[in-house]
Amino acid sequence: MVFSTPIFLFCFLVLTLLVYYLVPRGLRNVVLLCSSLFFYFWGERIFVLIMLLSTAIDYTHGLLVERCQKNGNDKGARWAVASSVIFNLALLFFFKYWDFIASSLQAVGLTFMPVLNTHLPIGISFYTFQTMSYTIDVYRGDARAQRNIINFGTFVTLFPQLIAGPIIKYKDLGDQIDSRTYSSERFASGVQIFMVGLGKKLLIANNVGMLWDTYKAMAPGDLTVAGAWLGVLAFTFQIYFDFSGYSDMAVGLGRMLGFEFLPNFNYPYISKSITEFWRRWHISLSTWFKEYLYIPLGGNRCSKSRWMFNLLVVWAATGIWHGASWNYLIWGLYFFVLLMIEKFFLLNLLKKAPALVGHVYTLFFVLVSWAIFGLENFTQLTAYLKVMFGLGGVPLINGELGYYLSSYLPILCVAALASTPLGVSLYRRGSVRVQQVVCTVLVVAGLVVCTAYLVDGTYNPFLYFRF
Amino acid sequence: MTKKYSIFLTVLFCAFIGGVFLISLLLPKKEFSPLENRYLEKPPKLSLETVSDGTFMEDAEDYVSDHIVGRDFWVAAKAWSERLSGKHENNGVYFGKEDTLINRVKDPDMDKLNKDMGYVDSLVSNATIPVYFGLIPTSAAIWSDRLPAGAPTADEQSIIDQLYFTTGANTVDLYSALNEHNDEDIYYRTDHHWTSLGAFYGANALLEAMGMEPLNLDDYQKTTVSDQFYGTTFSSSGVRWVKPDCIDTYVPGDGVTVTSYFGGNPSQGSLYVDSYLDVKDKYSYFLGGNQALCVIETEHTDAPSVLIVRDSYSDSLAPFLTERFSEIHLFDLRYNKTSLKSYIEEHNIDNVVVLYSFSNFVTDQNLFLLGQ
Repeated sequence: MVFSTPIFLFCFLVLTLLVYYLVPRGLRNVVLLCSSLFFYFWGERIFVLIMLLSTAIDYTHGLLVERCQKNGNDKGARWAVASSVIFNLALLFFFKYWDFIASSLQAVGLTFMPVLNTHLPIGISFYTFQTMSYTIDVYRGDARAQRNIINFGTFVTLFPQLIAGPIIKYKDLGDQIDSRTYSSERFASGVQIFMVGLGKKLLIANNVGMLWDTYKAMAPGDLTVAGAWLGVLAFTFQIYFDFSGYSDMAVGLGRMLGFEFLPNFNYPYISKSITEFWRRWHISLSTWFKEYLYIPLGGNRCSKSRWMFNLLVVWAATGIWHGASWNYLIWGLYFFVLLMIEKFFLLNLLKKAPALVGHVYTLFFVLVSWAIFGLENFTQLTAYLKVMFGLGGVPLINGELGYYLSSYLPILCVAALASTPLGVSLYRRGSVRVQQVVCTVLVVAGLVVCTAYLVDGTYNPFLYFRF
Repeated sequence: MTKKYSIFLTVLFCAFIGGVFLISLLLPKKEFSPLENRYLEKPPKLSLETVSDGTFMEDAEDYVSDHIVGRDFWVAAKAWSERLSGKHENNGVYFGKEDTLINRVKDPDMDKLNKDMGYVDSLVSNATIPVYFGLIPTSAAIWSDRLPAGAPTADEQSIIDQLYFTTGANTVDLYSALNEHNDEDIYYRTDHHWTSLGAFYGANALLEAMGMEPLNLDDYQKTTVSDQFYGTTFSSSGVRWVKPDCIDTYVPGDGVTVTSYFGGNPSQGSLYVDSYLDVKDKYSYFLGGNQALCVIETEHTDAPSVLIVRDSYSDSLAPFLTERFSEIHLFDLRYNKTSLKSYIEEHNIDNVVVLYSFSNFVTDQNLFLLGQ
């Protein structure tokens, strides 16, 4: 099930909240676990078993790690961690990467791996990462092993963040799973954030997404230079508002249920460098890779060549995490190259340059990166990039471009404004009274307009099937 | 946030989602949406099979969104907010000038079209009588000046020219016939069909192609039978701010016998079925809507007979043809699976016309039956 459907908002959420708050506190995790399993089963059916299997295995591994450590058996604890990591990666590898590797090998004539056409269970990249970090956290002493399997199951399956993140680390959530406080303030702030997320998804992301889909579907000969850029700009907004919208909805729903998740996006498009961009984009993923891959590899406390190698591994992994396809790998390595250049000299230059230079530079490379990200087909990608850079032999503009520009200009302007903290800082400047009025008006208007788009939802894509 | 306000906001949100849930649950369910002109999703069937293949979930999601309280309001609200956000279309329908709603016509799949033209040509070689082929352009092509500036739509004229150039059938130049009168009300503003006036120009184009005497508009008295017609583009667009269309007739339709085959059995029909004027689907006033076969016999018994491989555009064309033919057989490939060739032979048909609107022709999946 996805958040942006009428059945989620008007049936699932209503009934879940109702039952959740009717039962005594001690039973709320049971309610959450059941509703999360139902939520996952709704879309993925039999594959809910994979998630349950993953839950059971990591639950036992956590206990195993703790017992070994209690007995002073560090070697055993290490083996338990290794076993959990191997299991999770094997799961991810099989469902997500097997077919990709098999078909890539077949393309060069090696046929020992058959293409299995496996279904990629939604959210597998999120929950395997969460459970993997759990045993590591227990080993590192950052968290205590969870004894209650209901509570552990609640952590793994928690529906607000199950299918599109943010990736939550057990050490950040463990205490809240065991006990959390409820207040109307938290619930109400959850409503605010959820509404922001719903609006981002339904009113901005889906809207500009149609524009990107139009340009993506065009034959290279039908494109125009300006149109290709317009299409990528639309995708730039679509992916940010869709993804951060989902994260906001997750954070908001979490608060309604008494949880506090860490924010996942922090206005990435106002960055003045790619380095800054990645501190603001999908924060839960970059910190995960930092803590569980980059630092274990040695981080930057090693030779320069080893450090570069560590970063290369992290960025290749980041790329391929987004989907089992070559373009995602290239996308990750593209950022590796940019970050290297920045670390060696560009960052210092950018600091001295006017802010505008940094913004333009960052947005340019981010826009190009989204073209790589958005076009999985290699021939299409190269053709599209050629058009963007004026090598496609197509005109700069045409009448169709005028039509799309006039249709989408208002929403693109709204998206551009909403990519900056301007609105929030204006809101914060108002008096309490003004804030209450503005908030009420926005929530009511948001509910009405979002419901309209939910009900007549002819276009409502889910972008994370490949994650 | 103050405690008081947080309680207010919590209650507001819960009351909204809970209220929509509860009212939608309790409200009696409609089977048909007249405004949207479609049947709403039936309650999903719960069984091991539907759950394990996921159809239950899909149906349930459609069911919820179809039966949500105030659905008509939400649909209209979405069209409005699209318009207010600067869009010139909603759900594939352009907001045209002069209150005109125009379906966007996608570029057709030329491979499919060429294949279908092969079936037209095999009809030509199968039949011993003249075969005519006509494509009726859509309002997106003829009323392109009403489209929003730069709005993309298929180049129907050049595609029709291309198909006409290759076919062995006699072609009917409906494009020019309609285009000459594109400043007149030849299409409905809220429906995809041509009006009776459009059908009149179409009829003359057909008569001209057949070398027959054209009709004269001055011989007819226009009668407006409804001024409250909201058609299919109105329904699918969600646009609720346009004024309704009028339905006009020209041919009185006396002295003809109409036999309709809605199912397999014949029943007495009529050129005009008044009861449809009281319902949403008013275009079915012409001949009573889609049917497998319709046979119209006229008083002009010495005139030739004609068989039209039809879509719904032929229903408003038929009244004009009663003036020049002895029998008009409207044969619908979608519902009539009998052999066209043997039907033509059995009923001594003199002319065959394959007559489709452009958008129906490029999407129809039954054209292979032309060759059988």
